[in-house]
Amino acid sequence: MQQREEKQLEAAVESLISRVAHVKNALHSFIYKLENEYERLTWPSVLDNFALLSGQLNTINKLLKNEKTPSFRNQVIIPLLLSPDRDEDLAKLTEQRVPVFSHEIVPDYLRTKPDPEVEEQEKQLSVEAARIGPEVAQKQIQTLNKLCSNLLEKLNNPRDDRDSESAAIRQSKPSFNPADTNALVGAVAFGKGLSKCRPPGPVAPGHPGQGPMMSGGPTLQQVTIGGGSGQQAGMGGPVAPQQQGQPGKIPSSIKTNIKSASGSMHPYNR
Amino acid sequence: MEAPPVTSMPVTGGAVNMMEYLLQGSVLDQALESLLHRLRGLCDNMDPETFTDHELVYLLKGQQGNPFILRARRSLSHPTSPWHLRYLGQPEVGDKSRHALVRNCVDVAASHSLPEFLNEMGFRMDHEFTANGHMFRKGVMKIVVSKLSRILVPGNTENTERLSLSYLVELSVLAPAGQDTVSEDMRSFAEQLKPLVHLEKIDPSKQRH
Repeated sequence: MQQREEKQLEAAVESLISRVAHVKNALHSFIYKLENEYERLTWPSVLDNFALLSGQLNTINKLLKNEKTPSFRNQVIIPLLLSPDRDEDLAKLTEQRVPVFSHEIVPDYLRTKPDPEVEEQEKQLSVEAARIGPEVAQKQIQTLNKLCSNLLEKLNNPRDDRDSESAAIRQSKPSFNPADTNALVGAVAFGKGLSKCRPPGPVAPGHPGQGPMMSGGPTLQQVTIGGGSGQQAGMGGPVAPQQQGQPGKIPSSIKTNIKSASGSMHPYNR
Repeated sequence: MEAPPVTSMPVTGGAVNMMEYLLQGSVLDQALESLLHRLRGLCDNMDPETFTDHELVYLLKGQQGNPFILRARRSLSHPTSPWHLRYLGQPEVGDKSRHALVRNCVDVAASHSLPEFLNEMGFRMDHEFTANGHMFRKGVMKIVVSKLSRILVPGNTENTERLSLSYLVELSVLAPAGQDTVSEDMRSFAEQLKPLVHLEKIDPSKQRH
């Protein structure tokens, strides 16, 4: 009987050690990823890591709940020998994390009671639970279950159902107004609605009936001055401005000779 | 000999003829935050860039035909930056299947004496407005979400009044002429912004009336 229990205990401890080693490795690689590759890290891969850890913790829980596992609460660990000297075997076993099996490490590593703060919180929770009574507690449990199942149902149902109801919500709140679009495009393209501050239209005030405006003002006139490579664009002789008989316009006397650049006009002629 | 009408001469800015591919839409104020979040997720990861610009549109009326339009833009948030002068041609009437508005585009930088220079050249300012908002980039695509305001007193950029309760959203690409794959990419990006905002090809000439 004792032997069977001992064997069970040993087997359980072995599997627990291996599971915990898995968790440790997963944590190790996750921390490494977070510290060194955080620029390339994407949210789905972080979620994957968390899922892995949660799965491993789940298996540990299952292992502990397993009926074959003897209750670890009944076992007591008593340190038999404490020494302030460095223990090489222990150091190797724990990957240099526990080099000395001394008085300082015992309260931490062999602890069986939870931390004082945690204990306090647990006490408060159990007091609270006792206070509200079993019926209320049962009702709360049922509400929680209902909420969770509703949420699961919504998440698991095909996307079409979700899209149709969200489309209905979106239609009632339009996010753009086509009339505004046209108004804005008109304003940017040709100043619709913007030219109010200036005299309206291309027509001189007082002569709305005039046809296309012929401005006597500075007009680009190309006047060819007789040949000569040395000639540059300059003020030519006064050419009579094209008076169009428009009282609103002051004909400018500035004549500009703008010649298209051609080979003969090269300034650095040889 | 008379110069040919200014507007019928081809406008090129240097060696390569650049075309601007454009899709436009708008978003109401209350949906702006969600649009900005979505754009932050979809676009290249850079610090969100806000801008405040003052744009003046200059017209040069030739003897006949449409007036020649130049757009001068300066940054109010970076007052020492150079001015930006842009020419936009008529939209190309290509096949209807092209998803974006395509027009010839010439951009140059200019010094701060640009308005006086344009006035001396004969251009007259037709209208001006201020735009402020956010700019995002994804590869070659540029997405601008801006709020347009009317300038109440000409020349005074402090005193402005919003044009509408929406923000203008523009998706544009500057590419050399002949690259039609660009509009496909733009369309698939625009799909991702639905239904918050519908980016589409809006022909400005149809808006005139």
